[in-house]
Amino acid sequence: MLKYDRFTLENGLTVLFHKDTTTPLAVVNTLYDVGARDESEDKTGFAHLFEHLMFGGSINIEDFDSPLQLAGGENNAFTSNDITNYYDVLPANNIETALWLESDRMLSLAFTEKSLEVQRNVVIEEFKQRYLNQPYGDVWLELRPLVYKTHPYKWATIGKELSHIEDATMSDVKAFFKKHYSPANAILCIAGNFELDEVKALVQKWYGEIPAGIKYNRNLIKEAKQTEFREKVIEREVPANAFYYAFKMPDRLHPDFFTIDTLSDALGRDKSSRLYLSLKKELNLVSSISAYITGSIDEGLLVISGKLNDGVSFDTFDNAFWNELDAFKTNAISTSELEKIMNKIRTSKEFEDMGILNRAMNLCSYELLGDISLINKESEIYNNITADDIQRVAKSVLQKSCCSLLKVKAKENVK
Amino acid sequence: MLNRTAQPALKAIDKIKFIAPKEYKITPHVSLYHMKDVPNETTRFDLYFDAGKCRGKNAMASFVNGLLLSGTKNKTSIEINTEINGKGGFYESGISQENSVISVYSLRENIVDIFNTIKDAIKNVAFIEKEVLEFLSDRKQGFNISLQKVNYLAQRAFQEELFGSNKNYSNTTELSDFENVCIDDLKAFHSEYYLKGLSKVVVVGDLNEETIQHFISESIEFSPESKPTYIDTIENNAGLRHIEKNNAVQSAIRVGKILFNKNHTDYLDFLVLNTILGDYFGSRLMSNIREDKGYTYGIGTMLAELNNVGYFMVATEVGADLKEATLKEIQFEFERLKTELVPEDELKLVQNYMLGQLLKSADGPYAMTDLFISVELHKLDLEFYNKAIYALNNITAKRIQELAVKYLNWDDMSIVTAG
Repeated sequence: MLKYDRFTLENGLTVLFHKDTTTPLAVVNTLYDVGARDESEDKTGFAHLFEHLMFGGSINIEDFDSPLQLAGGENNAFTSNDITNYYDVLPANNIETALWLESDRMLSLAFTEKSLEVQRNVVIEEFKQRYLNQPYGDVWLELRPLVYKTHPYKWATIGKELSHIEDATMSDVKAFFKKHYSPANAILCIAGNFELDEVKALVQKWYGEIPAGIKYNRNLIKEAKQTEFREKVIEREVPANAFYYAFKMPDRLHPDFFTIDTLSDALGRDKSSRLYLSLKKELNLVSSISAYITGSIDEGLLVISGKLNDGVSFDTFDNAFWNELDAFKTNAISTSELEKIMNKIRTSKEFEDMGILNRAMNLCSYELLGDISLINKESEIYNNITADDIQRVAKSVLQKSCCSLLKVKAKENVK
Repeated sequence: MLNRTAQPALKAIDKIKFIAPKEYKITPHVSLYHMKDVPNETTRFDLYFDAGKCRGKNAMASFVNGLLLSGTKNKTSIEINTEINGKGGFYESGISQENSVISVYSLRENIVDIFNTIKDAIKNVAFIEKEVLEFLSDRKQGFNISLQKVNYLAQRAFQEELFGSNKNYSNTTELSDFENVCIDDLKAFHSEYYLKGLSKVVVVGDLNEETIQHFISESIEFSPESKPTYIDTIENNAGLRHIEKNNAVQSAIRVGKILFNKNHTDYLDFLVLNTILGDYFGSRLMSNIREDKGYTYGIGTMLAELNNVGYFMVATEVGADLKEATLKEIQFEFERLKTELVPEDELKLVQNYMLGQLLKSADGPYAMTDLFISVELHKLDLEFYNKAIYALNNITAKRIQELAVKYLNWDDMSIVTAG
């Protein structure tokens, strides 16, 4: 059981407190309810660029990082299609420095031209380093628009193209801040060896006076139900042919979410999973194969990806692949196979819960979903999954008409 | 009215609690270290073998390490993996220049079963031809993918230049390595460096004495007759080398030289210099090359350690047309440290930051165990970290400048660019 307290400031800021008496460190985690899905299609990559700008100085503090480092702490942030998350880890007795810094940049940024100019360049280099200059690095830039036709998940957090980042203006930046960065759109979690009263007083002191802002009401275009198999082939300078089969799956709060997560484990978590055993060990068609879910808040994906062995054609593999999925749908996994999968899930969960930062981030994520108490029901949900459930979701999710396939074909000169 | 312009008062970190794992002698040369103080069901064990890159020709060490679970006379690789995975275990293995390390994470109730499976798999690995060929084909594909990455190309060439004076350390994987593998060579390497190559066992978890004794008795047979020895000196080839890669949108850069490890008297102070230069977000290199010029997504420096030596390295990836400009800035930052004293406020910041990092490195049984192992490797104990706190609190700007003059000589550096 993960223990937590929850309270709200008058300005609407939701605050979570997680007490941990075993560590000398404190975590201050701030989740802003904005991700790449909230961008407009002609200005993609903005939520992520904005994350970088949050380190360029706030209204009263010239530099974010130095005071935190002076307090013995460190920080980082990430942006996903759903959220933007910032965290600080520092010695617990210096927690006030983190609250001072985080509350000031929630109040307002400095908005300097220099910061915008430099961070545009940094993000462009990040785009190159992670997406353009890596073999298979642009796969998700290609896969997303194949799978999503209307929902903003059709672009990646880094953005659709470099020009959107190059063209970002200061007025875009200010408007984005106003719309998404305010107590009404944030969740704060404090973790460490403190007393609740102490936390309440500190949070009130630093955040209480920040204007509430306007709660952003998301109204995204729902993705229409996919009814046809889609396929795209791209040719790249890579040494091996690669495949990405993406199946639509329900949203994060759907009752089958964890069952489908378990299905992906059964298919391709490790060297004991079904597809590894059949398509690699038995038929020797691939060098690697794995299955995973994207875990997004809106309708997500179960992805099965891997690389073909030299000399194996996409068609040969494709036949074997669908045969294997059909077999899986017809023969439910055994109870003992399910038990093994559950053992692995339990191990990961236990290790994941060890880190205080993980716990703080998880609490914020569950709060965002609308029911924080779900965080303590996860294990029970997994425990109640049966082999029949797995078979049922396999039948509903692993349908060709809900599948999009991206093939990355190796150019001859590289192979 | 709340004063938002001044930083809240800071409290210093005066003391950090360091806890050593309990040591058991498996044989006079091999120890098991057990960290028992774990508040939940998680456990981990690590097996260290004297089976690093330097022990074998070509990619031998890496191949044998990757094949450890490939099957025995009585069990297939599938059966072995299913025993481990089915008990919820996570298996990791890897090699460095001088070590091979096997790590397993699991819940307490399954750790003994998984240990037994792994022991049997490692002891009796049969290097079955079908498995070996499949493994080599997968690895070759992975290697070909790596060759497309400027980062990998630079790191590989850097290793060749860095360990230039010793072939066992400088040799890197070539495509031809995948063609000329003889199963008898794999077996010979395995038998010399695994069957008699255990150098240490590390266990974290709330386990009872009986379990630990089981691990000890099961490990005895892998223990060598004498302690392995490693090189004491090695020299890097100074100078610039470029690896051409067509159509790269970024260039990777490595700059570095052979240096020392925790046993050297300049180590702790150099660590402060290293941090100022490039080992935290606000470092000189990050401020200049990322935050001021926007040339890169990231740049960093490190001091890496081997048993008896160490090396210093700067690493980054920058826009393809920016590699000369970046090298010039790196050299500029070296020179600045040699000619100007580090300002007091910057030094204070780095001191506090490093203390905070040390506090974090000692937080929790897993982190604490790793911190201990990193001194044990050099035959030191946890007192080292108290000395580190003292050194950190007492270092001066002048001392940092002296070290910069002594060690950051541009002409001594191996410099590699790829792109």
